[in-house]
Amino acid sequence: MTAETIIQSLASGLLMGLLYGLIAVGLALIFGLMDVVNFAHGEFLMIAMYITFFLFAFFALDPLLSMPLVAAALFVFGAVVYLLIVRFAVRAKANAGMVQIFSTFGLAIVMRGLAQYFFTPDYRSVNHSWLGGKTVSIGGIFLPQPQLFGALVAILAFVGLYFFINRTDFGRALEATREDAGAVALVGIDKNRVFALGWGLGAALVGLSGAIMATFFYIYPDVGASFALIAYITVALGGFGSVFGAFAGGIIVGLVEAATALMLPPALKSVGIYAVYLLVVFVRPRGLFGSM
Amino acid sequence: MKITRRDVLLGATATAALAPLGARAQTSEVVIGVIYPLSGASAQIGVDAQKAFETAADLINKNYDFELPLAKGEGIPGLGGAKVRLVFADHQADPQKGRAEAERLITQEKVCAVIGTYQSAVAVTVSQICERYGVPFLSADNSSPSLHRRGLKFYFRAAPHDEMFSQAMFDFFDAMKKKGTKIDTLALFHEDTIFGTDSGNAQLKLANERGYKIATDIKYRANSPSLSAEVQQLKAANADVLMPSSYTTDGILLVKTMAELGYKPNAIVAQDAGFSEKALYDAVGDKLEGVISRGSFSLDLAEKRPMVGKINDMFKARSGKDFNDYSSRQFMGLIVMAEAINRAKSTDGEKIREALVATDLPGEQTIMPWKRVKFDSMGQNNDADPVLLQYIGGKFVTIFPPQAAVAQAVWPMK
Repeated sequence: MTAETIIQSLASGLLMGLLYGLIAVGLALIFGLMDVVNFAHGEFLMIAMYITFFLFAFFALDPLLSMPLVAAALFVFGAVVYLLIVRFAVRAKANAGMVQIFSTFGLAIVMRGLAQYFFTPDYRSVNHSWLGGKTVSIGGIFLPQPQLFGALVAILAFVGLYFFINRTDFGRALEATREDAGAVALVGIDKNRVFALGWGLGAALVGLSGAIMATFFYIYPDVGASFALIAYITVALGGFGSVFGAFAGGIIVGLVEAATALMLPPALKSVGIYAVYLLVVFVRPRGLFGSM
Repeated sequence: MKITRRDVLLGATATAALAPLGARAQTSEVVIGVIYPLSGASAQIGVDAQKAFETAADLINKNYDFELPLAKGEGIPGLGGAKVRLVFADHQADPQKGRAEAERLITQEKVCAVIGTYQSAVAVTVSQICERYGVPFLSADNSSPSLHRRGLKFYFRAAPHDEMFSQAMFDFFDAMKKKGTKIDTLALFHEDTIFGTDSGNAQLKLANERGYKIATDIKYRANSPSLSAEVQQLKAANADVLMPSSYTTDGILLVKTMAELGYKPNAIVAQDAGFSEKALYDAVGDKLEGVISRGSFSLDLAEKRPMVGKINDMFKARSGKDFNDYSSRQFMGLIVMAEAINRAKSTDGEKIREALVATDLPGEQTIMPWKRVKFDSMGQNNDADPVLLQYIGGKFVTIFPPQAAVAQAVWPMK
C-alpha cells in the first residue's frame, strides 16, 4: 500500500463524508425541532434527484443552475408534507411514536411506488453536465469535480445554517420551539408555522444534495434507500437533533468507510461504520454532539 | 310446451352442476407463473421482462408465420387450442419474498409451471418451492452454475450458465494470445450475492487452469453508495483485463468512478448483467467504446434468421427497447415451457416434467445462437453456446466464437 493510495482513499472518503453530512443534516434538523424521525428522508433525496434530472432532460438546465430551484421545490414539498401529514400524526392521542413512524414510513412507500409508476423503474443519469465526469488531479490524487463541488456546497450550507440558527429571528424561533413548544405559543409564535418552515428547510437541504448527487450517481425510485441508512447512522453518530453533529458525523462516516476499505476486503467496508457507531452508542448513547 | 317454475329450477340446477365439468374438460387456458423483481432496486429488469413474456404469450396465443414452436395457429394445440395466461408475481430481489410468492402462485393461482427470476439468489428459493409442489420451474435467465447441481427433479435451464460463459471468455483470451495480444493478468470484480460469487469462482478456477495471473480479486457489496476504494485497488493492480460481474446500478457507478479516478483499463470483459442493459450505455456508454460482454443473444442473428428481427420489432413495439441478453432469454423461456406443455397434453406437473425431459428443439427454431435445446439429467441445456459481443459505435457486434463472429475484436479498447 503506497502513501498515494492512502491519501487518495482518505481524500475520496472526506469528499463523500461531507456529502453524507449534507444529506443527513435535514434529518437532524427535523428531529431536533420536533422529535420526529422522517423515515421518508431517502425518498426526499430521490425526488430531488428526479427533479434535477427532469429539469436537465426537458429544459437542458445544468444541475448547477437548477440547484436553487430544486432546493426551493423541496422546501415547498417538505412544508406541505408537514402540513398535510406530520401535523396530524403528531396529534395522535395514543401510541404517538408509532403513528409518527408509520406515517413517514408509509409516505416513503407511497413515494417510491408513485415514482416507479410515473417515472418507470429505468435507471436515469444526467449525462454531460458541466461538472459530470471531470476530475482535478493534484500530484496523482484524483478529486472528481462533482464531489469537490458537493463538499464546497456542504461546507457553505453548514456555515449558512450556523448563522441562520444563531443570528436570525426565525433561527431563534426555531431554537425556542424545539426547547419548549408550549412556552413559545404563549409569546405569540405560531408553532405550526415554525414546524412547517423547519420541515421545508430540512427538505431544501436534501434538495441541495440531490442536485449534486444527480451529477455523478444513477437515479431510480429506490436510490434513497442506501443513502438514507447512512444518513440515520450519521445522525445517530453525531447526536440526534444536532445540526453540527450531522456535519461531523458525515465526515467521520466517510473517513471510516474509506479507512476500512483500505484494511479489510471491500465487501466489508460498511463494517467499520457500524463498529464506530456501536462504540459511540455504548460510550456516549446520545451521540457525539447530542444534548438529550 | 309449458314451462313451469319447477322446470326452470331443475334446468338451472342441472346447468350449474354441469358447468364446472364442461370447463374442466375444455381447459380453455394454461396458467403459467412468472416471477420477477417488479419493484425495488432491479424493478427495471422485471418490467422489461414482463414485456418479453407478453410478447411470447402473444406469439403463442395468436397466429403468426414464424418457424418457432407454437407460433403458427392459435393457442396450444395439444390442449385443444388453450390460451396461455401469465400471472406475474413480484419478488423484489428478495429470496424470502420469492419463496412466499412462488407458494402463492402454486396454491392460490394454480399455475402449472413457473418461470423466473433474474437474480440467481431468488431462483434458489423459488425452485425449492416448485420442487416441493411438483411444479416445473424454468430458469429463463439465471446464470449461477450451482443452480442445476442441487439434484432437483423439476429444475430446467435452457440458457448457458456462468461457467459456460466464463469458458467462452477464456477460450477467447487463448485465441487472442495466440495472435500475439498480451493477456497475462486479470482483475476480477464481482458483487457479493450468488451471481457475483459463482461467477468469480468460475473465473478464478479457469484462470488457474489456463495459467492467467489474478492481479486482484475484489468482492464488493452490491448497491454501494460509493465504489472509490474498490476502483483504487483495481487501478493499483492495473491488470491486462478487467472482468466485472455486476448488476446495472453497480456497473454504472463502477464506470463513472473509474473515469473520475483516472483509471482506463486495456480491456473490459464483462459477465453480462448490467453490461447488457441499455440503461448502463445510456448513462456511461461514451466511456465504454470497445467493452466486451458475454451474451447468449445477438441481433446480428437477424441477418441469418429474419424472424429474429421481426420478433424483436414486436418486443420493441411493447417496450421501446431492442431485445437484449435478458429479454431474449425470458422470451425463449416461455416458448420452451409452452412447447413442452403442448407435448405433455396436460397441465399436470409430472407430465410437463416428462415432456421437458424429452425436449429436443433445434437451434433454428429459437431466436438464439444456440445449437439446440435439450436438457441433461440435471435439467441444464449444454447446447446453448454463449457468444462474446463488443460494444462498437453504439451497438453490439458478435466477435466470438469464430463461427458466429461478424467482426474482429478491437483490442485494446478505446
